[in-house]
Amino acid sequence: MTENSFEPKIIAFLCNWCSYAGADLAGVSRFQYPSNIRIVRVPCSGRISPPMLFSALKQGADGILVSGCHPGDCHYISGNLFARRRFALFKNLLEFAGIEPGRVNFTWVSASEGERFADVVSQVTEAVRQLGPFNRF
Amino acid sequence: MNNVNDIITQELRAFASSLLESGEVSAFLGFAHGSLPMTTRPFVAKTPEDAQKLVWNSFCVLNLANYLPALLKSIEPPRGPKDPPPEGPLPKAGVIATGCWSRNIVVQTQENQVDRSRLVIAGVSSRGMVDRKKVLKALDGKEITKIEEKDHDLIVEADGAIKELNRWSVTRDNCQSCVHSSAVVFDHWIGPKLDDRQAPNRFKQIEDIEKMTADERWAWFSKEIETCIRCYACRNACPLCYCETCFVDDSNPQWVGKSIEKADAAIFHLLRAFHCAGRCTDCGACESACPMGIRMRLLTKKLEKDVFELFGDEAGMDASKPLTMTTYKLEDPQGFIFEPKHGQKKE
Amino acid sequence: MKTIFLNEKELLALLASWCETFDVYAPNDGKGEDAACSVIGWGKIASKEEFYGVLPDKIAKGVHKTSIKPFFFPQPETLVTFTSDNKPCAPLANTVGQKRLILGVRPCDARSVMLNAMPYRDDPYYQANQNKTVLVGVGCNEKAITCFCEKTGGSPLGTDGLDILITTLGTGFALEALTNQGDELLGSQGAALDEALLAEFTKRRESFAADAQKANSTPSLKGKDLMSLYQSKIWQDLSQSCINCGACTFLCPTCYCFDIQDEAIRKDKGSSNACACGTGGCACDAPSVRRIRYWDSCMFPLFTKHASGHNPRGTKEHRVRNRFMHKLKYFPDRFGALSCVGCGRCIRECPVNIDIREVMTTLLAVD
Repeated sequence: MTENSFEPKIIAFLCNWCSYAGADLAGVSRFQYPSNIRIVRVPCSGRISPPMLFSALKQGADGILVSGCHPGDCHYISGNLFARRRFALFKNLLEFAGIEPGRVNFTWVSASEGERFADVVSQVTEAVRQLGPFNRF
Repeated sequence: MNNVNDIITQELRAFASSLLESGEVSAFLGFAHGSLPMTTRPFVAKTPEDAQKLVWNSFCVLNLANYLPALLKSIEPPRGPKDPPPEGPLPKAGVIATGCWSRNIVVQTQENQVDRSRLVIAGVSSRGMVDRKKVLKALDGKEITKIEEKDHDLIVEADGAIKELNRWSVTRDNCQSCVHSSAVVFDHWIGPKLDDRQAPNRFKQIEDIEKMTADERWAWFSKEIETCIRCYACRNACPLCYCETCFVDDSNPQWVGKSIEKADAAIFHLLRAFHCAGRCTDCGACESACPMGIRMRLLTKKLEKDVFELFGDEAGMDASKPLTMTTYKLEDPQGFIFEPKHGQKKE
Repeated sequence: MKTIFLNEKELLALLASWCETFDVYAPNDGKGEDAACSVIGWGKIASKEEFYGVLPDKIAKGVHKTSIKPFFFPQPETLVTFTSDNKPCAPLANTVGQKRLILGVRPCDARSVMLNAMPYRDDPYYQANQNKTVLVGVGCNEKAITCFCEKTGGSPLGTDGLDILITTLGTGFALEALTNQGDELLGSQGAALDEALLAEFTKRRESFAADAQKANSTPSLKGKDLMSLYQSKIWQDLSQSCINCGACTFLCPTCYCFDIQDEAIRKDKGSSNACACGTGGCACDAPSVRRIRYWDSCMFPLFTKHASGHNPRGTKEHRVRNRFMHKLKYFPDRFGALSCVGCGRCIRECPVNIDIREVMTTLLAVD
């Protein structure tokens, strides 16, 4: 299998209020982005707990994208701020245990940032493609 | 009678028995001798006579805070699940606490697991607890039949031979990197009080691992957990673990597989450690309890380092501050957030 | 059945010859990973150098850190696999894999295999695992401080469950065939024991057997009244320090409780779980499921929790009582022997030093 023919499967956890709407806008505005992502819509990035990300990885995801509202924009005021602390530590812990840095990604995309969403997805997909299939577990 | 442990043991017995005698506490939690060399067993004294069985030595490796929520409940007068709590103050329990244990008591207070007003804490300065795996290693795995403790040395008898070991050289990794060795909350002090330790670099072990490449780290981590038998001794020895249903027991959805295969063991260890983020005091009970010698403490130590460096917090040092993961600041660092390079998207 | 005498060189040659027909396993430090078997603390060996390290006089006294239980009761064991398109994916139970021989087994561990076979009498998986395994034991000349096999009805030179028992004797080793298979394996090697050695060998065994008979607490425990033990006040004190982990039960060679569940297996390329059946070579490509049997422990609250939420063994005290009562009372009442072989692993590794020997003494004192 050559590097380029590998199509990674990326699970994207998007918050309902900003990032999911951002993805919607990307579609409506016809920004192109790779079809490698499978979107899971969650109420808020604060809803996402590490076991969910592990489940995705264990069941065959090659990469993960988590996206919420920009700090200060959370529909629930502070959900993404709690999430930010959680993910800062979680990402470091994963990398500490040897999961490659590009595997699990966190970002902010607002409802008006269709283009940013397309950029994020394209670049994350490309990075995960470079890493190859996830076979740590 | 100039051995520090003997002095502490005597003071502890006297203090515990006076509390039990006067009825100020209904139970006193400490350690008693174990049946093998280098073991102790957590012990609840309920009478002044019981208190004479309490001991203090370098093998008190478990964290007594772990027992407190259940102990406090067990000394309450019996009542049905829907009965109102009895009038008047509930019975108290005494406990001996080192720096890390007392910090765990603070965390438990913050999380409403124990009621501080029902505890009488006998503070003590820990001089570092001995890692029995290190002692075994120092004796090439010979069977240790007897061990005698002096202030700075251990006299070990193994298979007939006698060997003297420097005590500090076989203390646990977490004790060697500890900075808060004296209880941070207490009602009474036992033994000599030591100042905070100046550990040369408390995160050295972690930094060494961080320097490795991702593949090397994965190789290290895989090797570390390969002998995990999923007995959950690490989880159950931990004073932070008190959930009614643990994530490993959830079945719908099931977050973690039940086998000892790599994926399941890795997810278990990473999630267990992550649950301790911002709460772990690096007491080392998990590692000491592990029958297989897995150094899972390195994961929680990594979290402790990040919590300290990113958010400036140390768990259990200040009961008036919220726990790291239960709060936030608008200006929290977010260097880990993926920032796309604009306009570089493909096609 | 014959008993032969071999010197070190002859023994090494014999061990090496077994490698041709068997996968040979012996105690090691890590996890012996190979396709057929991965058991923590026991690995496959092939070279002469490796054999040297596991010679009977080189093995540390007492038992190895982990028991041989996983050879017979793997953690996890795949019972069945199936796919969403209803095509069977893998050969199931009773697969006769490569015959294997486990070397350096202590008599207590061998006895545990025999004891576990009682409740697993009708279990095809356990039976299959047992049928393809030859156990070569190493007798103990001295006891570790946690050893107490004689209290449980075993003996340092016990032969239960073994095919061959090797004992260090004089300048060499006595190899005693205990089953027909063991007899065949010894072939026409070596000489019979000479009179002096035979006398020493017999004397040692008899003295151990006499000790064991004296110390054996099985009859007295069986004689105790079940309900008075059950309702005794001792359990509260005993369970006080227990943290309810499963270290004791998982390290115990005679704990055999399990749970079963179905697991989806991801099968895309590059995964370490490439195939549910573990053979990796099958053609199935539908999402597949494996039904696994994995170790469970009576120390865990979930072990007895009902679907209703009720838990008949809801407290630590209940669970501690069950563990000891099962080993020391229920099992002996049902099968005639204690479900404990006196290996002492639980004493050695219990984080809070709960000592089953003390429990036995306490139980014997209950009237």
